[in-house]
Order: sequence, then structure tokens, then C-alpha cells
Amino acid sequence: MSDVLTQDVTADKATVGAINSAAANAFSLTKHGLTSDYDGKRAKRGDIMDGNTHSSVSDMTHEQLMVKIADDRDRAAFAVVFDYFAPRVKSHLMKMGLNSQGAEDMAQDVLVIVWQKAFQFDPQKAKLSTWIFRIARNKFIDLTRKQKYPEVNADDHMHNMLAPEETDKPIEQMQDAEIVSSALEHLNEDQRKVIDLSFYKEMSHSQIAEHLSLPLGTVKSRIRLAFQVLRKKMGDTI
Amino acid sequence: MTHTGLLPQEWLMDYAAGSLNEAHAMVVACHLQYHKNLQDDLRAAEDLGGDLLMSNQPEKMAADSLDKVLSRLDAGEAEPIEVQRSTPSEMPTDVPAPLQKYLKNGLSDCKWRIMGPGMRQMKLWSGEKGECLWLLKAKGGTQIPVHDHKGLEMTLILKGSYHVGDEHYTPGLLEMADQDHHSHQPVIDEGEDCICLVATEAPIKIHSLVGRMLQPLIGL
Repeated sequence: MSDVLTQDVTADKATVGAINSAAANAFSLTKHGLTSDYDGKRAKRGDIMDGNTHSSVSDMTHEQLMVKIADDRDRAAFAVVFDYFAPRVKSHLMKMGLNSQGAEDMAQDVLVIVWQKAFQFDPQKAKLSTWIFRIARNKFIDLTRKQKYPEVNADDHMHNMLAPEETDKPIEQMQDAEIVSSALEHLNEDQRKVIDLSFYKEMSHSQIAEHLSLPLGTVKSRIRLAFQVLRKKMGDTI
Repeated sequence: MTHTGLLPQEWLMDYAAGSLNEAHAMVVACHLQYHKNLQDDLRAAEDLGGDLLMSNQPEKMAADSLDKVLSRLDAGEAEPIEVQRSTPSEMPTDVPAPLQKYLKNGLSDCKWRIMGPGMRQMKLWSGEKGECLWLLKAKGGTQIPVHDHKGLEMTLILKGSYHVGDEHYTPGLLEMADQDHHSHQPVIDEGEDCICLVATEAPIKIHSLVGRMLQPLIGL
């Protein structure tokens, strides 16, 4: 694995100005490069990052950059993540109804949180896009509704509350490049319409039914069929 | 309506999308703490959110945007937010983690108010449209007064158990009852107290005269 996460520690000092945002945008989440021996232990990850291959942050996957941000508080790495995600977060927030300035400001807030919480990001538990989506969603709710969205902590001490048949399965390796391709392509038009109203208009399934003048059962079955697609996509690759 | 005691998927999608109010979101988040399979479903739904984020045409950031953010990192916002991890012995294990927002030390923080014979309640949150999040504590053997629902009533069992007709609800299971459930009358199982987290959308209608008289006092 050491060949994947190798770097030169002196690259930490790379200046932000050296980051070419075009190169950053050329990055793709589909780029595969995760190590499977990520085990949440910082020290251990440090050990595997002592290779002598010289590479700059522009050659790293977003997940590797997050490790650098978490471990080394590396601003050059952060700048690459910023260049890639901030414009997408801004666009997402505008679709949720914020104006350009509001979305700009909130996207900045979201990226500050990405920096602050970088060490909580675990590529085995979430895709980076999903992790950032959650931060953006919670920030949006926090600011527009003055509500701290209750978070599900899948990895906390409440494991002892799980029903016996559901206790610790091995962590599923889902951060496979193949499934980073969008599940959206697999949804039909009707499902997509429901998903858009749900994620962009903050409508609950019963509000969606009302909005589209559809029976509640129809909306429920569209959502459940969408889940079948999503779970199949996850299942195929696990 | 669910008869499995597990959250239907459309509710998971609502939670993932961020469209639930505080009361519903809290019940859902707490319910999910008990069920790994539902957590996996939620992850699938949130991945969809991530996919939407990635599918957007990127919107140009202001020219000074990155500089502004970097200067905020300089200005003391740079420090990582330490997760407030207490040692396991300090953790209340009698409530799901999200509920610590209201009950930092678990059920020992509860301030119960009398609600009726054998019943206590503690209000946690109320919304502008009559939505309410509250805890119910009922003694073993108690019959909850027969009531109808104007909106949806979501009940997550935290401790003890009850049954409604043939359906049996134990810790971690969720009961969802709406206006189609007339004359809803849960009966608490004999034995230990039953404690539930409840989200109601509109005041419940209690059938008995005494119940209706008490209702304004209870405030639910």
C-alpha cells in the first residue's frame, strides 16, 4: 500500500499559489487510490506515508488530500479540495434556494468545517462527496431553520444498543471507484422528480404527494424503488 | 404504516434530504442508532445527496473566496473541532446518542410531569404548527387512554415495552399511528416502566371526558 500514499513531507510547505486550480479540477472522484489498511489510527497511517517517491498534492486523490489535511494541517492540500468542492457546494446551495451571495458565504462556511472536521472523515465509512453533502445539509438547516439537525452516529458507543443479530459486521469496503459513478443515472424520470423535490425543496414525501397531486402510496413506491436501485448499486460492489 | 416496528424507507429519504422537522428528525436519528440495516439504507440515501452535489454544474466562487477561507483558518477557526469524547463510563447508555442534546446525562436528567394515572411526560421541543417532541413514562400495566390522531404519532420505545392489539413494541422499535388508527390504545406490559420518545404533529384527541378535561393541562 505504501506506493499509493507516498509523499514527500517537504511538499507540505508547498504554497497555495503553487496549486493550479485547473489541475485540481481535473481531479476526479473516480480516481482510485485508497488504501485498504486505513484503520482510523493516525500513527499507523503516518507509518505508511514514509515512502520516498516525490509527489505533489496535485497527484493525490481527494481522499488522500483529506488525510494530509487531517494529519498535517496541509493548506496546499486543502486548497485543492476547496477548488474542487466549493463551487459544487455553492451550486447545490443555490439549487436549494439561496441567492448567489448567500450560497457563496455558506459554501465558505462549509469548507471551513471540512478543514476543522477533516480528522473525522473516514473513507471506509463514507464517500467524501456524501460527507461534504451532510455538512452542507446540516449547515443549511442550521442557518435557515435555526435547527441543529440530529445526527446519526453510526460509529459511536451506542453499538451496545444494536439488536444482537445486527451487531458488528465487518466494515464494508464501499469506497470503490466503480460505485462513485452516480446512482442518479439509474433512476427513472419519475423517481428523479421525487428525489429533486426531496433534496432541493426540502419536501417530505407527504408534501411531495400533495405538490404533485399524486396518491401518497405512489410517492412512497417511487422512493422505495429508488432505494432498490441504490442498495443494488451498493450491494454489487461490496 | 409500519407493522414491523422499523422506519419505512420514504422516511429515511426525508431524513437524508433534510426535510424533517426537529421532532421527526430526532425520533428517526434515535431509532437508527438501534438498527445497522437502516443505517446502511440511510448511507445509500445520503450517497444520493452526494451524487446530486457532484452532478451540479460548478458555480464560480468569488475571486477572493479561497483567501477569505484561508484567513479564517488563520484567525483561530483553524483548530480542529475536538469530538467531545467522554470515557465510556461517563456516557449515558440509557438513551440513544442524539437524545443527549436534551438529556446530557441520560434519563437521570428527566424532569417528569404528571400526565394521568400511571403516566408522566416531559416536553422536549415544540414547533410552530403544534408539532411536539416529548418523552412518555408509563408504569407497567397502564392502559394509555383511548385516543385518535389528527396528524401522525411516532413512538420510539426506549425502555420497557407495550402492545397495541397483537403488535408488540420493544426497545428500538417504532410505532407509527396516524388518523387511520382510530381508537388507538396501547397497553404497557406488566413489569418495568415503559419510556418512549414521541413525536406528535397535532394535539391528540383523548376520548374520555376526564382525558379531555386534563388535556389542556398536559399540553400535548
